[in-house]
Amino acid sequence: MKRSAFPAPLALALGLGIGLAMAAASGAAAVGTSAASDEDCLTCHGDPDLEKADGTSLYFDQEKAKGTSHEQAGLSCVDCHTDLKAVADFPHAEKLRPVVCAACHEDVYKDIKASVHDGLEKNEIRVGCQDCHGAHDVRPADDLESSVSPLNLPATCEKCHAERVKTPRGGEFIRQYETSVHFRGLKESGLTLSANCSHCHGVHDVVPTEDPASRVARANIIRTCGRCHVGIEKSYREGVHGKAYVKGSGDVPVCTDCHSEHDIRSPEDLGSRVYATKVAAVCVRCHDDERLGRLYGFLTSRLKTFFSSYHGTASKFGETRVANCASCHGFHDIRVSSDPKSSINPANLPETCGTCHAGAGANFAKGKIHEAPAEMSGNRGAQVVKVFYIALIAVLISAFLLFIAADLFRKVRVQWLNKRRRP
Amino acid sequence: MAEQAPPTLIPDDEVFLRMNRAERLQHVLLIVTFTTLILTGLPLIFYDLGLFKSVFAYGRAFYIRGLLHRAAAVVLILDIVWHVVYTATTGRGRDNFREMIPRLKDFRDALQVFGYNVGLAGFLHRRGVGKRFFARHPFWLFATEPEYGRYNFIEKLEYWSLIWGSVVMILSGFFMWQVELSLRLFPLWLHNIFIIVHGYEAMLAFLAVIIWHMYNVHLNPEVFPMSKVWLNGKITGHELRTLHALEYRKILAARRREPGE
Repeated sequence: MKRSAFPAPLALALGLGIGLAMAAASGAAAVGTSAASDEDCLTCHGDPDLEKADGTSLYFDQEKAKGTSHEQAGLSCVDCHTDLKAVADFPHAEKLRPVVCAACHEDVYKDIKASVHDGLEKNEIRVGCQDCHGAHDVRPADDLESSVSPLNLPATCEKCHAERVKTPRGGEFIRQYETSVHFRGLKESGLTLSANCSHCHGVHDVVPTEDPASRVARANIIRTCGRCHVGIEKSYREGVHGKAYVKGSGDVPVCTDCHSEHDIRSPEDLGSRVYATKVAAVCVRCHDDERLGRLYGFLTSRLKTFFSSYHGTASKFGETRVANCASCHGFHDIRVSSDPKSSINPANLPETCGTCHAGAGANFAKGKIHEAPAEMSGNRGAQVVKVFYIALIAVLISAFLLFIAADLFRKVRVQWLNKRRRP
Repeated sequence: MAEQAPPTLIPDDEVFLRMNRAERLQHVLLIVTFTTLILTGLPLIFYDLGLFKSVFAYGRAFYIRGLLHRAAAVVLILDIVWHVVYTATTGRGRDNFREMIPRLKDFRDALQVFGYNVGLAGFLHRRGVGKRFFARHPFWLFATEPEYGRYNFIEKLEYWSLIWGSVVMILSGFFMWQVELSLRLFPLWLHNIFIIVHGYEAMLAFLAVIIWHMYNVHLNPEVFPMSKVWLNGKITGHELRTLHALEYRKILAARRREPGE
């Protein structure tokens, strides 16, 4: 071990970071008189059976320490356990001062201070560096054995967030990540690019999602998802939702409104909220809302009119090969029908319908797919036919029932008369 | 032969053929295809009914439903083609068709049997109401049941409803099946009307069969629990005399002309 590689800067950092007592101790170290060497420490801590009175192991496993960040940086025990530098008599006192990582990792310390993990909220929660990074086995994130490597990070965060530490929406919500396409990519395909906790929530600067500065806050979520889904962000910003989003509309959906948050799944996954037969339910949360309809001038009754069409009915029975909302309207770059680039612009309908109905022509645009009953006058013929049939059915069925009633009336009366005549 | 009184020319237990084998088979095919079409078509109208969801919302069930629906439609069309050819090419078929043609008498019969069953006119007449009107127009007394030929107005209504319904359903259904062809020929709004027509006509046919036909051939106390004509095709001299009096007298007259038979 190159144990004297950093004495001067270390002393400086410690002197700045901590107080007078510390400065005195480091002064002693700088003098380099009798600080304990790693060998000194291992005399006792190299014994696997060394335990505290309560059974906590005090064993320092040298094998485990191999390749950790601090081993590679050449730090010795007392570089972190600084209060032992001045101690000459061993065994030392049982209670040591907490290790202060900020002594070296000053920049990170600023982020942590501003984050939810430093007890920003009500000073209740305080997460130490070692809670995520480990104590002696701190490794860089690109080391696959690191607790903060993308492959291990979800488990590291869940150590607290799955149960022990109550987040506003509970552990169940956190664990939904495990069913997501992001986690699948990570776990099954080893895609470290696949979003894990820190991709969306940040690393040391994690703040509550309600905080406008949060990466998953409404104002930032498009950018956050767009860091990986670059093309989709571009497409979203071109659509009617994205354009209103940029203007600060609070009504348009952002990524998570349709795809959900932790439980984001592939659209091909039956459990996905945007699965072919389920996406309609997502769209109509806004598009069947009368208030929003009036505000933005769009038609409501979308679900009802969709379900009563063949596409919607079949979809209701689980048929995935029929058109759903997205098949015709698009998804990330949905545009109003008056937009010449819209997939449902009358000029583009033959092409849109043609993706399923081979050879679709101009007639596909001469009529409405799902119009609200209130504006049925748009198809007066349909209205007339409906009224005609309802009247015909009512008249005929009433006539049938009348005839049957009369027939039964006669027969019951005859039977009754016969009984009276021949008692 | 001379000593035989006229009624015995047609004994009550003599058996006549009302539906021959071809006609019965046409009817059975109609039952099977109609039922299949209704069962596989109704889910599209009543898509929120739990019953249909529990049957058709699994795996390929909905897709198979569509296949069955179209297969039944094809069989029904073949059945109709067979019936048309049979009617046109056989003497019995042509004779049946002539008997099936609606006449003014059928409308009078419908009115008369309804009035007779209600019995209101007779009731009023017995109490001296409208004496002069009834003297001049005895028909409105509805004093007797009408006499029917081979087919009464109920059977004629069912037959012609079936013809009308089949034409409407086959045309609209064909274009719903071949939606690309339909939209090459017609605008979307017209195609949408085909869909509406197909649904409502189906409802009408379903209700008519469930209420009207089922009453007349099953629940009617005269035939309850079921008229067996559709199975054995037989009708007795007694049934002929009471239910189809005109047909009975026609046969009787024919036998009188040729006593040797």
